[in-house]
Amino acid sequence: MKAHKVVGLVLGAVFLASGCGGGSASGGQTEIRFIWWGNDNRAKVTNEAVRLFESRNTDIKVSTSFQNFQNYFEKLSTEIAGGNAPDVIQMDYRYLNEYAGRNVLLDLTPYVGKEIRTADWDQGFIGSGKLRGKQVAMPLAQNSTTIVYDPKLFEAAGVKAPEIGWTWADYKETAARIQAGTGGKIAGSTDFGGTEDVFETWLRQRGKTLYTDDGKPGYTRDDLKAFWQLSKDFRDAKATTPAELVTTLNAGAEQTPMGKKLSASEHSYDSLYGGYNTVRPDELKLGPYPSDSKVLGSYRKPSQLISASARTKNKEAAVKLIDFLLNDPDAGKILGANRGLPANLKIREAVAQNLSGADKVVFEYQKSVDAKLGDAPAAPPKGDGAIYKLMQRKHEEIVFGRKTIDQAVEEFWRDAEEALK
Amino acid sequence: MVLAERVHPAPVKPVAEGAPPRRPRNVAYLFLGPWLLGAIGLTVAPMVVSLYLSFTDYDLFNSPRWIGLDNYLKLFGDDPRYLQSVGVTLRYVAWSVPMKLVLALAVALLLNSLRGKGQAFFRSAFYAPSLLGASVGLALAWRAIFDTWVDTPDHALITIVLLSAWQFGAPMVIFLAGLQQIPRDLFDAAAVDGAGWWRRLWSITLPMLSPVLFFNLVLETIHAFQAFTQAFVVSGGRGGPADSTLFYTLYLYERGFTEFRMGYASAMAWVLLVAIALITAVLFRTSRYWVFYGDER
Repeated sequence: MKAHKVVGLVLGAVFLASGCGGGSASGGQTEIRFIWWGNDNRAKVTNEAVRLFESRNTDIKVSTSFQNFQNYFEKLSTEIAGGNAPDVIQMDYRYLNEYAGRNVLLDLTPYVGKEIRTADWDQGFIGSGKLRGKQVAMPLAQNSTTIVYDPKLFEAAGVKAPEIGWTWADYKETAARIQAGTGGKIAGSTDFGGTEDVFETWLRQRGKTLYTDDGKPGYTRDDLKAFWQLSKDFRDAKATTPAELVTTLNAGAEQTPMGKKLSASEHSYDSLYGGYNTVRPDELKLGPYPSDSKVLGSYRKPSQLISASARTKNKEAAVKLIDFLLNDPDAGKILGANRGLPANLKIREAVAQNLSGADKVVFEYQKSVDAKLGDAPAAPPKGDGAIYKLMQRKHEEIVFGRKTIDQAVEEFWRDAEEALK
Repeated sequence: MVLAERVHPAPVKPVAEGAPPRRPRNVAYLFLGPWLLGAIGLTVAPMVVSLYLSFTDYDLFNSPRWIGLDNYLKLFGDDPRYLQSVGVTLRYVAWSVPMKLVLALAVALLLNSLRGKGQAFFRSAFYAPSLLGASVGLALAWRAIFDTWVDTPDHALITIVLLSAWQFGAPMVIFLAGLQQIPRDLFDAAAVDGAGWWRRLWSITLPMLSPVLFFNLVLETIHAFQAFTQAFVVSGGRGGPADSTLFYTLYLYERGFTEFRMGYASAMAWVLLVAIALITAVLFRTSRYWVFYGDER
């Protein structure tokens, strides 16, 4: 594609589209648009829930569409820029500030506790959708960081499965033994040094945070250095994946070393278990992170959030749909644990009653660590999306021997400051 | 709209008997209309807007803010990744264009010597990869085939160069057409004089083919600078590992659409446009030394 045309076409579309806003009403009916990311399976249950909503609110018509995660935010940003924003938008924690910080999302504060019911909620969890005192999104469901592992390989190597209380040193030894046991064919762990989510959990174990409340880094250069050294220790101990696999971490669960059966354990999110489970059905388990302190570091993270557009012409209808998806028992039954643990605790309980397959594994893991989970920190600041990728890139340069850890830390710091400006 | 006036159908004037029928010139604009609308609405106007945006800080959602030359200054003064993307792109152009042209010429020579014996079949067969060229599926297949190569910084760019070289169908067909235009008697005369295959290639085929070669060179160079799809798919949209496949267009896309720095991305697009124009101009300047047109003596 020609570069200037990419930009040109989109901008052209922006100007053509700016004349025609969405949300036209016809025959006394309000029409709203709802978009999300996910797969066919999620689309099926979501559309079913939306149809139920329409049958209960015959004056509202909801049109829906979905994308995979990679394309979702590109499509969303161009639609919003074109003055054609969807009314109800599934949001990601990492992007919350990118959008809310640019005044794109409706402040839901006046509706919380009223039109959007929150009586049956963990009150701390509601705050994960709040930025600078404004409720710009409601969390849809909860997930947490976890270690996905292959119990057969752990058994074969005669090592203990991950459990609360194990340390990073334990993990390194365990992983090295597994790797040696397979003659190096299967790595003991997946290299975690480029993954911001792991870094964040590890920082929290050390009493630090990824970001301070005012959006500055909550750690120092030395913290980052120590983290990259830890990942290097794993490589030196022959306990983790080779360099060539480091780039595959970007893909869906199915494409990671774990999904491809090239690693015995991998840092991940419990809500991704379904993805692992489709390629390796009933083979994998979930365990807690290792920690050198009493703090586990994992927290109740909103796996997805839901927002309304600040430019919607149908606030009431949008808010109604949001409340329905979050709090209606029948909607809860249809949606199940597809997006993680439902935010509404009553619905979560009801869903927990008849679990099976992947959902069951996720719920059991959450139960096992629940007492150790912290509340979610404020959503990452604008620029975190760029820093997330920056971390992968700098780590790659270390792994491939192009930079020393010290050089990588310095360059990371410079670019991260630039991204946070 | 300025055009509207000209689009009016011309009044039909009675034509004097015996005189050649007059062609109202305005009709041309009527037929050109749809194209003109598209060109202005979808190319010229957005380009003008993007030129404006390149002098602003624009995040897609809020109004652009004028910042003068800041984007351009930052590009060249304070962005190592930008320079990395320029380096990757230049390396890609320097490898893929000659490789593709040599392959295309070699296969065209081979096909030309077939003279009817299944030539049409082989021509189509060799052209096939180019038809699939821009497809995402093919790039994905390529990714799978060169799995470990794609994942190491030293080899990732080579796989994309190979993917591009493999799609030599378009220049090959043009070469083939050019080869078939060369008068047979030149070769016959040379053969009588005892010239071997290499000698005929060097002294007849290449000079006679040089305008076609020039055309292909210019076209492929421009295309190579704008390569996007393959790099996007093969590297999963990231230009990795370790920025080894960070093409210019890929970085531009990342800046504009994932980091919401559309002003910066617009500045990048304009620098690319000017760079391509300059390089094309240089190629045209050199052409007088090596391109031989049949009517020259």
